[in-house]
Amino acid sequence: MTIISLQHVTKDYGHGRGIFDISFNVEKATVYGFLGPNGAGKTTAIRHIMGFSKPQQGIVTVNGLNSWTNASTIQEKLGYLPGEVALPEHLTGEQFIRMMMDLRKVNDDTHCKKLIDFFELDASGRIKRMSLGMKRKLAIVTAFMHDPNVLVLDEPTSGLDPIMQQRFINFVREEKKRGKTILLSSHIFTEVDATCDEISIIKDGHVISSFNKLELLKMTEKVFHVKVKNALDYKQLGQLIESNTDFHLVNKNESAFELQIGCYPNNLSRLIKLLAAIPILSFNEVPFSLEKHFMEFYDRRVGGELP
Amino acid sequence: MQEGNPIINGTIFKQTLRANVKLWLIFTIVLTLLQIVMVAVFDDSTLADVSHLVEGTALAGLLGQTTLLSMLASTYYSIHGVIFPIIYIIMTANSLIASQVDRGSMAYLLSTPTKRSTIIVTQAFYLIVALVVMFCIETTAGFITIQVIHSDMDIVVADFIMLNVGLFLLMFAISSISFFFSSYCNLSKNSLAFGAGIPIAFFLFQLLSSVDDSLNVFSYFTINALFDTTAILEGENYWWKLIVLLGLGIVLYIASLEVFKRKDLPL
Repeated sequence: MTIISLQHVTKDYGHGRGIFDISFNVEKATVYGFLGPNGAGKTTAIRHIMGFSKPQQGIVTVNGLNSWTNASTIQEKLGYLPGEVALPEHLTGEQFIRMMMDLRKVNDDTHCKKLIDFFELDASGRIKRMSLGMKRKLAIVTAFMHDPNVLVLDEPTSGLDPIMQQRFINFVREEKKRGKTILLSSHIFTEVDATCDEISIIKDGHVISSFNKLELLKMTEKVFHVKVKNALDYKQLGQLIESNTDFHLVNKNESAFELQIGCYPNNLSRLIKLLAAIPILSFNEVPFSLEKHFMEFYDRRVGGELP
Repeated sequence: MQEGNPIINGTIFKQTLRANVKLWLIFTIVLTLLQIVMVAVFDDSTLADVSHLVEGTALAGLLGQTTLLSMLASTYYSIHGVIFPIIYIIMTANSLIASQVDRGSMAYLLSTPTKRSTIIVTQAFYLIVALVVMFCIETTAGFITIQVIHSDMDIVVADFIMLNVGLFLLMFAISSISFFFSSYCNLSKNSLAFGAGIPIAFFLFQLLSSVDDSLNVFSYFTINALFDTTAILEGENYWWKLIVLLGLGIVLYIASLEVFKRKDLPL
């Protein structure tokens, strides 16, 4: 079931800024990662989901409702964490929480108290005097306080310390298990890698790649790190790999007798057979990193007619 | 009333009040004190002397006749009582909408099931109520001062009240200008450029036009001329002018609502 849907959404701010013909769907109980460098259009897309902006073309729906014409209805079941924290400074944290509860018509504060404890939020002071991290925690608590079904998180872990980042990532995973649909925008690979099922990479306002993480793992080349005993074995193995088109030599270190061999999953047993003939000291897989995959898109010049 | 009414949101109103009440209090006190002082210092004998001194000069036109109300009309009701509320309006109108959009804190209101129209109506309601209460206090203080200090004088209370009603209607219209630009602009600086620039220009035009007859042409370029103190004091027909002010205010407040409902917010 599709919860958030963008169909051919275009918003041109001029000078090549904006988003252009963006389409994607976020299915129920999944975490959708929206990855891209700063200024790629992530926040612009989120603005349209939230109903803050009207698309020039295309349609955005949340829970089947048009997010421009039904903005306030959508918010009943949606939690939003803005990328930039801008809280009303004249309030204390507690007053702000109270105000948000009133505006959301939440009467029961047990869930809210749980969140405050979980994220170790100290909401007693004036917002003006809070540290950036504390403001972010306050924003997180207000985004989740009404236990919404849909969550839109714009760079959620920026400003949090590493322990809190990890706690937040675990929290997002738990929420997913509870059936929540989450859209997470980020330019940090680790948080996307750790939480997301589906990932879209956006650059210069265009979606340049969309994939399912598990499928990507199945599809991509695996890299193995092999260490042999001596120069003779090293040379022999090197020749065997280079002469075989099923594999490719990613990296080699002659002085340490180490090789890195790239191999697609369907050639895996052939690689193992080949290696069995040679005395090997160690053999392990280099973990797949989304970062590597992602960097390829970062560097590549994709995006059509832009200067 | 605020709890049950779907248009004005009690929670937002409370927060707006909390955030703005200090500024309002300062301006209300200043305005009220000015009114009291201007009424209290009036003395027909000194004023008669002054008008002899300035006879034949440009200032003579400013002073005119020497009754308490006419003196107030040419001083308080054209300078102090106008510019102070204008400054208050400029600051408040900008902080009610544009500065919250500019800073991004509007995102929190809009991430709750609160309609844009509710936000605008609540904020406009605050601004109007703040002005109503401000002028009620000022009028009452002026009235009491007149009764206490000038009990011997023969003052037309109805004229005094109408001066204040007229001044309020002028401020209502001016607040609608500032509020409109606060709703229309996404940046505080733009909201202030128009929301402050236009009311101040109107004020200056009115001031210029009253200095000398040759500059009277300026009165055609300012809505401040619609608050016609001379007409009020001399019993001429001034109603249509006040109705124009009221109408302008209503139109611009409605325009603010419509423009805010439809615009893109950079949140």
